[in-house]
Amino acid sequence: MERVAASRILIPARRKSRRAQMAIEQGIKAFFGGNALVAVIVLALITIFLFREGFGFFGQNLANLQLYRQAGLEYVDIIRAVTTQHEALSRKLSEIRLREVRSLEKRNAAPDEINAALAPFDQFASGFSDTAENLHGLVSDLTEQASALKEQLAAGNNSGSETALRALRERGATFESVSAEMTASVSNLMATAPALPDTAEQKSFDQWKIAVRDYLAGFPVASKKLREWSADEPIPWYRSLSSFLFGREWVTASFWQDWYGIVPLLVGSVMVSIVALVIAVPLGVASAIYVSEVASRHEKRLIKPYIEFISAIPSVVLGFFGIAVVGQAIRAASQSSLFKWVSFFPISERLNIFTAGCLLALMAVPTIFTLAEDALRNVPRGFKEASYALGANRLQTIARVIVPASLSGIVSAVLLGLGRVIGETMVVLLCAGNRIAIPDFSQGLGAVFQPVHTMTGIIAQEMGEVVRGSTHYRALFMVGLVLFTITLGINWLAQRFVARFRMSVG
Amino acid sequence: MNDEARMTNVEGMTNDETASNAGSPSSFVIRHSSFGRGRFLEALTFWIFRLATYLILAAATYIFLDIGIKGGRTVFTRTAPFINVAFLSQAPQTLYVFDFAGKKMTLGDREFRDWKSVHPGVEVEATSVAYSAGGIWPCIVGTALLVIGSMALALGIGISSAIYLSEYSRNGPLIRLVRIAILNLAGVPSIVFGLFGFGLFVIFFGWNVSLIAGWFTLGLMVLPAIITASEESLRAVPQGLREGSLALGASKWQTIRKNVLPYALPGILTSSILGIARVAGETAPIMFTAAYAMKDEMPWQVARFTDFFFQGVMALPYHIYVVSSKIPQNEYTERVQYGSAFVFLFLVMLIALTSIVLRERSRSRLSW
Repeated sequence: MERVAASRILIPARRKSRRAQMAIEQGIKAFFGGNALVAVIVLALITIFLFREGFGFFGQNLANLQLYRQAGLEYVDIIRAVTTQHEALSRKLSEIRLREVRSLEKRNAAPDEINAALAPFDQFASGFSDTAENLHGLVSDLTEQASALKEQLAAGNNSGSETALRALRERGATFESVSAEMTASVSNLMATAPALPDTAEQKSFDQWKIAVRDYLAGFPVASKKLREWSADEPIPWYRSLSSFLFGREWVTASFWQDWYGIVPLLVGSVMVSIVALVIAVPLGVASAIYVSEVASRHEKRLIKPYIEFISAIPSVVLGFFGIAVVGQAIRAASQSSLFKWVSFFPISERLNIFTAGCLLALMAVPTIFTLAEDALRNVPRGFKEASYALGANRLQTIARVIVPASLSGIVSAVLLGLGRVIGETMVVLLCAGNRIAIPDFSQGLGAVFQPVHTMTGIIAQEMGEVVRGSTHYRALFMVGLVLFTITLGINWLAQRFVARFRMSVG
Repeated sequence: MNDEARMTNVEGMTNDETASNAGSPSSFVIRHSSFGRGRFLEALTFWIFRLATYLILAAATYIFLDIGIKGGRTVFTRTAPFINVAFLSQAPQTLYVFDFAGKKMTLGDREFRDWKSVHPGVEVEATSVAYSAGGIWPCIVGTALLVIGSMALALGIGISSAIYLSEYSRNGPLIRLVRIAILNLAGVPSIVFGLFGFGLFVIFFGWNVSLIAGWFTLGLMVLPAIITASEESLRAVPQGLREGSLALGASKWQTIRKNVLPYALPGILTSSILGIARVAGETAPIMFTAAYAMKDEMPWQVARFTDFFFQGVMALPYHIYVVSSKIPQNEYTERVQYGSAFVFLFLVMLIALTSIVLRERSRSRLSW
């Protein structure tokens, strides 16, 4: 207050005309108001630019899908699917062999003995993989033809595409004879299937046989598809959107066909966030309760600034720390004998969902802690006092009064923590392993130790290398748009919780 | 009576009550009849909470120590002047590793060329490791430039809009829109700001990868935080100061300039320092708007004055990303990796610490 008294007289000595002064005041006000509008303008511009660059994606992706059909790539992929199934079955056979070897080793069999015992099985396995030889030849021929046609069509040259397509279909029609041949040879082979020494493995081998029978039964379906396929059938407009939102493959710069499906990236982002929250929420909320209700004054003065201090650690440093230390440590821990009982250990990749999740948890903890502590502190003193007056102890007061009263604040703290985690780029780019694949959930919790790619990571990694205006470039903007929408949604939810929280306390 | 004392008092009372009413069938008492177990449970729970809290602190401390110790080996030296001046003042170079006369030689790019001219005709098989020799001086400069420009932008716009929101605005639909926009902008991921900056400044305005595109991207990213913090400190100035000034005949703007801003400014600047830490620490928004992985000239070595704004720079966070993901982890790269991480962490944490200390101090001093 002293300064006010000491300051000069506020009324200017030289009086301007009242109107001029009003105009100046209005001008100043307009200047400040204009600045405040910047926030709205920026938000609008972000939306506009994401949409502007992103929406061209649908047209281009539709053209991309149309070319896929017109050049007969789709036709070839029907047969290719049959080949991939065959490969998968062969792989299963070698898995069975591996397990069989292990179980024999456990019984202290010598390597020569093992090989001798498995010789008929090996012969069977190689016989099985040989049955697809003609099919592989067919696929590679068709691939060549279709690629050539695709290049020609992409260059805008339509002449002779009819004849090329006819040739493709003629060659493809031989699938029927090839598949008939295959059915015969596989059936013959199945009749000579050897028995396995281990009963458990015999069981899975029997299951495999059933899978083969299903596989063979699928041949007529594939040939029917081939017969019904037509290059002229138009692609519905919504396919462009649905292939983006529900597509399970993100393949770019491929010689065959590019796919822009967001599912693997979305699943990666969500998995990493779940791991991070599973770690960060208990830690963050527990420490918030501890600091606001239990800790002594000295502890409080140390812990609160320190946790705020943690939130300032740059994410790229955390990412580097993950690569240099945490990844190694997690892999080393998984190899130790302490965790032998865990079925999916030891892990093969040091950079995986769990590594990224651990580090992201450290980023989410300060957010959750600060906001949750705020919410806890804002619980009116009367609530606490009433609870004590009724004879409750401190734990009961915390569990039944303080936490329920601030629950919506805590939930919104968790949501904002989630927002921070899902939008985080550098840590996931450096530590999540960057493999574009949906994790194999059949391993149960082991899926958490597989590498993934995330939405933020893919933008950061591929944006620098794409051709401006290409489908790939626009696809990345679409991913950004999805990310933007998700974070806006999370923000909106958090705000709703805060609004409710204010009401309950007021 | 403070909180602690009151609590023990209350508990003491419960204790007596429980003892005297032990036989009563009321549910209130039953809950307390197993008093020893309740106390044990309470202590156990509090210990778990304490453990969780200290686990967080321990994890962070481990990171600081690991980077501090391993990075300290690069940045500090055993002999005077105790600081590795070369590392802080040189540009990154490629490192050459080779065997010569039974000795393992590790030389930077320039040294390697000198060595070759001294030993003409000697053929050596050298393995080269990118970025691992030299220092990080251009990255420090680039980061400083990015921070200064974007903070100037963000503070200018941010404080002005905060003044409008706290001093001028009435609660209308437009103001609500502004507030919603600010609230939502604060939650937008930094990579989306990067995409936006890339789409608008780099491509639409044709600024290419440049300092000015980075300024705008980073400035707009940190804007919501600055506005919120500034508005908070403006609102903390008591209404009486404004009313007194207005009553003396001062105009609105005079009131704000002489009687509101001077008192709010320390608070605004303190919170803004945290904004600096955030701007300096972000990598994603500058990846494709302002940062180069490698650049030979320093930012001031430009042909024309305007070129200064339209040049990309090397930045410390981007450099850390490059050296930790694009080159392998081994004994030769550890020096530059941990060294850069240490310097960067040190700078950012210093800024954050300043902000936190300043705020703690102003909190205890300022009370209206």
